[in-house]
Amino acid sequence: MGSFLRSTWTISVFTWREGMRKKTLIGFFILSILTIFGSSVLTAYVAPTSGTSTPSEIESKMIKDICLTTISIFGVLITIFISASVVPNEVENKVIYTVLSKPIRRFQYLLGKFIGVQLTVILNLVLMGILFCIAVYSKEGIFPSLLIWAILLTYCEFLVISAFTFAVSCSATSAVLPTIGGLFIYIIGNLTEYLKDVANRVGESTVLADKIVRETAYWLYMVLPNLQKFSLKNQVLYLSVNDPPKDAQIPQVIAYALACTVVGYIIALWVFRRKEL
Amino acid sequence: MSAVIETKNLTKVYEGGRRGQDVHALKNLTLTVSTGEIFGYLGPNGSGKTTTIKMLLSLMFPTSGSIAILGRKDYGASDVKRKIGYLPEGAYYPEFLKGEEVLRYYGQLYGLHGSTLEKRISEVLDIVGMSRARKRLVRGYSKGMRQRIGLGQALISDPQILVLDEPTTGLDPIARKEIRDILIRLRDEGKTLLISSHELLEVELISNRVGILYEGDLKAMGSITELLTDRDVTLEVRGASPEALQRLTAKGIQSESQPQGVSLLRVPNTMSVYEVLEYCKNEKITLVSVAPRRETLEELFVRVVGAAQNEKKG
Repeated sequence: MGSFLRSTWTISVFTWREGMRKKTLIGFFILSILTIFGSSVLTAYVAPTSGTSTPSEIESKMIKDICLTTISIFGVLITIFISASVVPNEVENKVIYTVLSKPIRRFQYLLGKFIGVQLTVILNLVLMGILFCIAVYSKEGIFPSLLIWAILLTYCEFLVISAFTFAVSCSATSAVLPTIGGLFIYIIGNLTEYLKDVANRVGESTVLADKIVRETAYWLYMVLPNLQKFSLKNQVLYLSVNDPPKDAQIPQVIAYALACTVVGYIIALWVFRRKEL
Repeated sequence: MSAVIETKNLTKVYEGGRRGQDVHALKNLTLTVSTGEIFGYLGPNGSGKTTTIKMLLSLMFPTSGSIAILGRKDYGASDVKRKIGYLPEGAYYPEFLKGEEVLRYYGQLYGLHGSTLEKRISEVLDIVGMSRARKRLVRGYSKGMRQRIGLGQALISDPQILVLDEPTTGLDPIARKEIRDILIRLRDEGKTLLISSHELLEVELISNRVGILYEGDLKAMGSITELLTDRDVTLEVRGASPEALQRLTAKGIQSESQPQGVSLLRVPNTMSVYEVLEYCKNEKITLVSVAPRRETLEELFVRVVGAAQNEKKG
């Protein structure tokens, strides 16, 4: 068991070290940092002064909006990019042959790679999150605990996207298809609530076409991961930054993320277990 | 000598999909590699060498037939893999790592750690002649140094079996000689080596036995001395006129013109050398030297593959 964990951890650390050196990833990260930094400066010039809110409140809201959007967009790009590329790149440069010819099982290799991807995503998210918190703290002067919850749930969203992108990457020979797959999961995962709406709007109609649409929408809603569960954006924008999250069942949402991740990993393993390298 | 690697009727078929034709990459391959020998595994590109190696390492799965490594049918088991070192062709080693870090990474994958691993890293760096470059980043390594580090990662667990895919391809003659010396030393230490290569001279110099594969079929297998039986005698002569050479060619003697009026005459072992010498004397051709010559592995390879190609054509 000790040897199993040690070898898996070795693969994870190696993946993380290699991931942190990817130029595309560094580029995304620098852009996100610049945007987060720039948000404080930018809002001072563009914040409108009309309405019921004070200029300071509007400025603060804009900072939170820009930072959350930045973290969400660049974070998801980093997650998809790294999850889509780790396995196909190792197949392409033949490193996988030298690893799997050692006493390493395939599920162990995948686990090590997946943990390594998560270490990379977490480190990037933590760095972006710290800057976000500093930007908000410097504006409002209170510890932004709500942001920490928002960032935690954002990571849960990335975890789910990462697991499914990783599963697609295990069947691919290059990073292109899994990258497209990851973007698809991100987009469709944020639209699943609409599928529920579609199913409800069609209602009890007995017309065949309506029935097909209702059933399809309902089943897609049930099967696809619902990424909107992980969003605390409205609360971050409209509540005080040190408020606890409202109406969000954090443990259930985290459990949902973990369940989706396990499903993604099992699909990855199923695809990879008999893959000819 | 006991069998270390054994395949019986090993077959690999790549399915061609809905419209494509199936590709028979390996057809009923039966071969044995014994303890302490260097087995040269030869064949043109696409003949099935790498497919065989990948199946031995559980990177691919046979369509039918069996594999046994160290007598074990469960050759993919961790304790069997622990005894195998593998150097793939043209593998990449992370450029941000130092030479010793590459070995540390692979050593940890074998479950080595602590002082045992550090001691082994130093030993392996010594074996592959990379001790002085251990602290340098792989980014700054030459092709030969990368190949040595690759060999090092294959040796890190002190395996009984080494499977090397094109270990000397693309290296300069000095690096090639150094790698060759390392391989001979490893064989002398009792390790078993399976080497797939296109460098036929290298293989001939170090192998005990060879197998020649063509389109998935094993066309020839045996020891170098068994296979390279075709011998001839080469006469180096001077002053032979074109007409005299033509007459020799008509008798079945190959001639090859060299600079400064020298010609090489290849007398097959089916003919009498004395008869040719007599002819040269009569034609006033000056004899420079007489040397027995054995067929090279390259000639055998061309002969075997050529015959297989002709057989295929029809």
